Amino acid sequence: MQPKLTRFELDRLAEHYKLDPPGVDVLLEASEAKPTAPEIHRFLMRMLGVGGLISLAASLVFFVAANWSRLAVFGRFGLLELVLLGCALVAILKPPSATLGRAALFLAFVTTGALLALFGQTYQTGADVYELFLTWTLLGLPIAILGNWSVTSAAWLLVLNVALMLFCGWQPIGGLLWAVFGGQPRQPALLLLVPTWLNIILWFVFEGFRVEAVPGWVRRLAISCAFGFGSWAAILGIVDSPSSALAVTGVLLAMALVAFHSREKRQDIYPLAVVFGSAILIGVVFIGHTMEFRDEGVLLVMAIWLIGTSAFAAKFLASTARDWREGSAA
Amino acid sequence: MSASSLAVIEALRARGLVPSDLEPPVFDESHRPWFVSLMLGAAGWLAGILLLVFIGITFKPDDSVTLIVLGLVGMVGAWAMYRAESDNAFLGQLALSLSIAGQISLAIGLLQDVNSELLIAVVLLVLQLGVLVVMPDRTARTIAALFACIAWTYVVRFATFPQSDWDDWFEPLQDGELSSARVVVGWLATWTPLVGFAAWLVNREPDWMSKPLRDYLRPALSGVLITVAAGGFATEPLVMATLGPGSMGVDLGWWSLFPLLSIALAAFAAWCAFRLRNLGLLGLAIAASLVHLGRFYYLFGTSLMWKSAIMLGMGMLLIAAAYLLRKRLPAEDAP
Repeated sequence: MQPKLTRFELDRLAEHYKLDPPGVDVLLEASEAKPTAPEIHRFLMRMLGVGGLISLAASLVFFVAANWSRLAVFGRFGLLELVLLGCALVAILKPPSATLGRAALFLAFVTTGALLALFGQTYQTGADVYELFLTWTLLGLPIAILGNWSVTSAAWLLVLNVALMLFCGWQPIGGLLWAVFGGQPRQPALLLLVPTWLNIILWFVFEGFRVEAVPGWVRRLAISCAFGFGSWAAILGIVDSPSSALAVTGVLLAMALVAFHSREKRQDIYPLAVVFGSAILIGVVFIGHTMEFRDEGVLLVMAIWLIGTSAFAAKFLASTARDWREGSAA
Repeated sequence: MSASSLAVIEALRARGLVPSDLEPPVFDESHRPWFVSLMLGAAGWLAGILLLVFIGITFKPDDSVTLIVLGLVGMVGAWAMYRAESDNAFLGQLALSLSIAGQISLAIGLLQDVNSELLIAVVLLVLQLGVLVVMPDRTARTIAALFACIAWTYVVRFATFPQSDWDDWFEPLQDGELSSARVVVGWLATWTPLVGFAAWLVNREPDWMSKPLRDYLRPALSGVLITVAAGGFATEPLVMATLGPGSMGVDLGWWSLFPLLSIALAAFAAWCAFRLRNLGLLGLAIAASLVHLGRFYYLFGTSLMWKSAIMLGMGMLLIAAAYLLRKRLPAEDAP
């Protein structure tokens, strides 16, 4: 849905050529800045369809959470399994890329999570919440692959990141990830490098192998999660000195790799913007921590850092975006 | 000048709308994607607060007059920098930070002795509208429009539900304090003008784009749509100013449907964002509607069975509407 020109550029053209309203209409049409009637119709249809699907999925999750006493345990499991079976049948009869098949597999993905939650709720397994999300990620992976739909891929990525956040943020004892990392002396900053790099690896994989199910916006989601964790890791590393060098080096390496790859590809400046945003944030914390807030001058230095680096980043990103756009159009 | 711009200008020339001897405009730094603007705005805002704290600690302004003077100096300085700045990104960002620091200082100076929440909200609304009109910068105007809309929601809120002290601001109203008529009137009074204004701006875009008003209305439209997408919670009766932890455990009543109205507002913002082909706003509206759904789950007691039934009904209704729309779509336009 990206138009040829931004609204800002269109405003400048309208101003420069002193266009009247019919002239602006032509401008909007020529730049494909105004959706056509069929496009509007399709958007509305998709919005209602996806909204309806998410409502049904939410209904299922709410139902499990309600722990309704009038329905016996067997009935609750039976109901969810019937929904899962129904979704599977629909997906077999109308396999993706049919809309119905994709929707059914999205619902199947959510139902898998709901079933796991019901299992934990019923049998009091003692599992940590992160284990629920992690198991959901693993069991839901084949469904997400079969679903071949960006919405299901994004949901899967979010579930994975919630699992990682719960594990790395709260550091519970027990479960699969604990078995892997539990024996080591765990420094939170270093632990946070794991989700950072996992998201970056996913981003690299789907940058290399472009598939319909992982379009640009899902890749952007992955890189945002990566540097969300990355910034967290570096900030903790700076504050918690024993792990600072390794944590900050790990994040800097990730930044360098992503920046290098983006510069090579010359397609999307979003990853570069995320790298800049993360570097600015880490920098401001570094200044505050290193100067130990000795006096109010530190605040001024932090403000100047923010102003200077964000101004540089904006100028660099704007000119890079323009160069890449012109390069791709040429 | 990009190839896309030249192609569009050629199309205008072909229709006789552009004289052939008139040079195309120069777009300096014009293509600034939404996420770059977001980064600039966030950094400028944070830097403004740091500047303000620095000034506060250094000069210790303790009376209203000093704060007002400091605020005005900051804002006039920012205005002068914006006017002087042509292609200097550092100066632009410094101006934004000074403007933010100046606005906060001015607001504290004007309002530190005021006890009326309504008056505070009104003054902040007027201040932000003033910034929207005066500051000659797109980012500063967009931020001002956003804060003006937020101030507007609280003007209506405090006009509808006057409160006695600041603590009430963070507490949801209790069931007994609620009057259906006031809640509905408050909700409609808040959102009808904003939704109507956004709809008018989107529908009449060619009209205002052809006038100098575009420099004000474009940022205003962004500010209104961000508020409509994300700000619905501010007018929910049991939630009010906070995200609503205080309303957990409250019995389910018809008030519980208000988060669904917030989702409807976010859906409207998504619709407008699509009409404007604004991916950033569309993403924000979708994310906001998911947050509203999450709040619907967490708030208002434990009657999750009812909520499940409501979502089931809504889901079926929406899918039926999508199906009907699909049937009306000509075969050649079907996805």
